[in-house]
Amino acid sequence: MDTDLHSHIRQSGLDPLKVLLGSVSELFQLDDNTLENIKFYVIKEAFYRHYNNNDFYRNSCKEKNIHPDDIKQLSDLVRIPLVPIELYKANDSHKLLSVSLNDVELEMRSTGTSGIPSVSRRCSDTVDHAVFSIYAMYREFFSISKGAGLYLCPSTEEIPEMGMIKALNMLAGLLDTHRFMVEREQFVPEEVVDQIHAWENRFSTHIIGPPFLINRFIRYLKARNIKLSLDKSAYVITLGGWKRFSGEMLSREEFNRECVEFLGVKEHQIRDIYALVESNVMAIDDEFGEKHVTPYIHFSVRDPEHLDQEVPEGEVGQLAILDPLAKSTPGFMLTEDMVRLLPGKSRSGRSGQRVQYVMRKPEAKEFGCCAVNLDKKLEEVEADEPNCPVVS
Amino acid sequence: MYSPLVIEHFSNPSYVGDVPNPDHEFEVGNSVCGDRIRIQLNSESDKVDQIAFRAWGCATSIATADIFCKSVTGKSYTDIEARSEGEIRDLLGELDPPQKHCIDIMMSLHSLLLKNVLKEDA
Repeated sequence: MDTDLHSHIRQSGLDPLKVLLGSVSELFQLDDNTLENIKFYVIKEAFYRHYNNNDFYRNSCKEKNIHPDDIKQLSDLVRIPLVPIELYKANDSHKLLSVSLNDVELEMRSTGTSGIPSVSRRCSDTVDHAVFSIYAMYREFFSISKGAGLYLCPSTEEIPEMGMIKALNMLAGLLDTHRFMVEREQFVPEEVVDQIHAWENRFSTHIIGPPFLINRFIRYLKARNIKLSLDKSAYVITLGGWKRFSGEMLSREEFNRECVEFLGVKEHQIRDIYALVESNVMAIDDEFGEKHVTPYIHFSVRDPEHLDQEVPEGEVGQLAILDPLAKSTPGFMLTEDMVRLLPGKSRSGRSGQRVQYVMRKPEAKEFGCCAVNLDKKLEEVEADEPNCPVVS
Repeated sequence: MYSPLVIEHFSNPSYVGDVPNPDHEFEVGNSVCGDRIRIQLNSESDKVDQIAFRAWGCATSIATADIFCKSVTGKSYTDIEARSEGEIRDLLGELDPPQKHCIDIMMSLHSLLLKNVLKEDA
């Protein structure tokens, strides 16, 4: 968006950000330079907003001797001060608010192995942005408007504030029916199989949930040599960490192989999503397994030893997110995730950034999202079940 | 969404911190995904003398911890024990439905406080 267009949209009484939110497919078709310029304007505008409305953030900027006027070109974005993700867990996380608590509409959270929740607070505008953006990304990458969602996770009724579940639950609004298969911390794989059969020949069944729970279901199928055959429109959609509470890392390659063997899908039907409750970003796998970053959000991959510097494209570094959709808190954050941006052109023909998640930073105090605690709970519940003493 | 009472105690908490060498320490929380509140306190002549909290969770639960600390500071355990369920509930004022789990947190804070103190007396 050049300055004229940006001003014209503003003068017409429209919000440039909301215009972008409705143009995800078009943004992915722009050339990279044009897309980067568009991002630059909305990120710079967001920087002004938080600088002007957030005492804590403004003081941090002053300490670092940076003012929004100093951000003149794309290469200056690296100078925008970043909020470390752990501040969302702090007792005094109220200082992150750029709006009054009265304007906060929604609190969302995620917890890792420490059990300390990371709480993000969204005002009405930020909820609007997140909702439009998430649905636009779902439509772009899944084109789903019908079918059945088999959710291998608890419902939002059981854990209403969990970001991962809330985001996955939004998909259900596009489907004809859905069912959550984890109830009161119980997961019964036999019921999942029954439900898949009940929907057979009526709906395309999409299996949706955190990787470890889908993996748990596949382990059940594997142990009994049950091979299902989901239809060609079905998706296996994962969101959440790939590390179990035990520290065991799930292999994406092995996961894909087993989905193909036991769920009867092709590899392009398996789609993973990278998201963070503190941000409004959603990076979704395309049909070639490449994750595309929401086009108006910028990923800046930093050298962990020199956080003011980016690593060259293709190299692994620490992820910083510049999210202009966040109005209630500064969306400029330093995550604890190690990622690499994929060089070259996307095989699916989309422009913009593509990312590969590598691992949680080794020094991170914890790992996982709320799913990791669910994994632990389910394991404990299963361990408590009495073993049958009869030899079979 | 938030009452003025919750906004005040969340935005300007008076009791956040630690008590050095506390007589009592207890925690209320949900191990899966919920709020966590840790209370530390010292007693003096059968009264709550020093008290502080650390809380992680939603704004209302953080405010709940601060309101709890304020409400028991300087109070005798006999007076705290005499509080009715309605009185404890009223400490939080008006809450929206998604915030009402904090009533249970407030109840738990009271019962854990008394349990800890009475255990020591026994």
